[in-house]
Amino acid sequence: MASVSEMYDVGWEEMRDKLRKWREDNSRNSEQIVEVGEELIGEHGSKLGDDVWIIYEQVMVAALDCSRDDLAMTCLQELRRQFPDSHRVKRLSGMRLEALERYDEATKSYESILQDDPTNTGARKRKISILKAQGKTTEAIRELNEYLEQFVGDQEAWHELSELYISEHDYGKAAFCLEELMMSNPHNHLYCEQYAEVKYTQGGLDNLELSRKYFAQALRLNNRNMRALFGLYMSASHIAASPKVGAKVKKDNIKYAAWAANQINRAYKLAGRGTKENKCSVKAVEEMLETMQITMS
Amino acid sequence: MGEVELSCRAYVKMYLHACLFPRCAVNGLLLSSASPGGGAAVCVTDCVPLLHSHLSLAPITQLALTQVDVWCSQTQQRIVGYYQANACASDSSPTSCALKIADKISEQFNNAVLLMIDGGKMSPDDRVPPIVMYERKDTRWILKDKHTIMLRQWEETRAIANQMLDSGDHTLLVDFDSHLDDITKDWTNQKLNNKILELASPANGNV
Repeated sequence: MASVSEMYDVGWEEMRDKLRKWREDNSRNSEQIVEVGEELIGEHGSKLGDDVWIIYEQVMVAALDCSRDDLAMTCLQELRRQFPDSHRVKRLSGMRLEALERYDEATKSYESILQDDPTNTGARKRKISILKAQGKTTEAIRELNEYLEQFVGDQEAWHELSELYISEHDYGKAAFCLEELMMSNPHNHLYCEQYAEVKYTQGGLDNLELSRKYFAQALRLNNRNMRALFGLYMSASHIAASPKVGAKVKKDNIKYAAWAANQINRAYKLAGRGTKENKCSVKAVEEMLETMQITMS
Repeated sequence: MGEVELSCRAYVKMYLHACLFPRCAVNGLLLSSASPGGGAAVCVTDCVPLLHSHLSLAPITQLALTQVDVWCSQTQQRIVGYYQANACASDSSPTSCALKIADKISEQFNNAVLLMIDGGKMSPDDRVPPIVMYERKDTRWILKDKHTIMLRQWEETRAIANQMLDSGDHTLLVDFDSHLDDITKDWTNQKLNNKILELASPANGNV
């Protein structure tokens, strides 16, 4: 197989910069990281200076993701030689055990880190992710709740907890986690939209009203969010069609739904310009909007 | 119960969908273009990949089902089943959300099938189809007899799936989730269909 540098005509500096960019963005594009990283370490390791250690770490995690235990082991050995007593390296060996599904050993190694350093959040989160991998969702939820009592500002943990609740169909608690996230990130349209989706799923007129409001708020924060646009359309249509609402509410919601339908049509017209590729999906949207409008009026 | 035949196109797309999002649960719909004769075999000719996130949230699922339904009636196809792969590779049991959607489909189509992808058997060295199928009897979904599931030219289908995965063609696949992120992408996957057709025609001439 051709090397990355030959295929794309790039030097080692560019490869190093690419890896740094992926690290900063927190990208989980493990296949690419392995491809670029393996060559960089193998051919240009000596030129990297102190950067080499963080690259070993990055490539190792990516290698585990791609079941490349050989490469992961090479990186781990280098890191162990350089940092024999490091907790960070110890956590990496734990992750390797996880990848090999040796969960008991992995848990033990995280526990020994926590004995030395009870505030090591990385090791605690890994322990929870083992529970998740074993399908022990209820236990993972309990541990994560305990964790959040101590580290209440950990956004990533709140988000993970909301996902776990969603997978368990515990929508009320998922909504609580998302409320927490919206409070600390009021400008994040994705949290708003997800909150609206959860409320919509919970059902009932009150929740539908709330979901419509948050779909609208998500749209205000980002008017290109198609999920929110469709969500606004659907929640407003449902409210308008409900026999329990008064004439004014009905009229208002018909107006919201019509506005959303209009915006959806416009977005698809713009997107369809000059391309034939998505014409099937465009036709489906157009007809769906037509038929739904008939049932509403 | 009747037999189910899974076409090369339907299988390959489903397989590539699961491969494209190895860390996520994915789901989709199974379609048939053949007119259903009374009690005859269900022939799954195509599939539409739907989601790879938040399978159990209602709005996007409802939206996707409505749109696929509309598209089906425009193209003389019908929804005949549901497929899902769980996030945890070793777990291939149907989740409650899988059962719920499959229930809905079976209200419209009597012989609907529920197909779970077995993540533990997906490596290229595995020679048996990594699928588990369920059918509805009275009010419950029960395991379907393996002998009533047909994959014509399985060896060729498997080879095509592996070949496309090797050459990175799975990145061409668009599910409904990715369509919502970028609506210029087409969830009916015409491009990928053509590619499968290309690979399939010299092999068996009649897909």
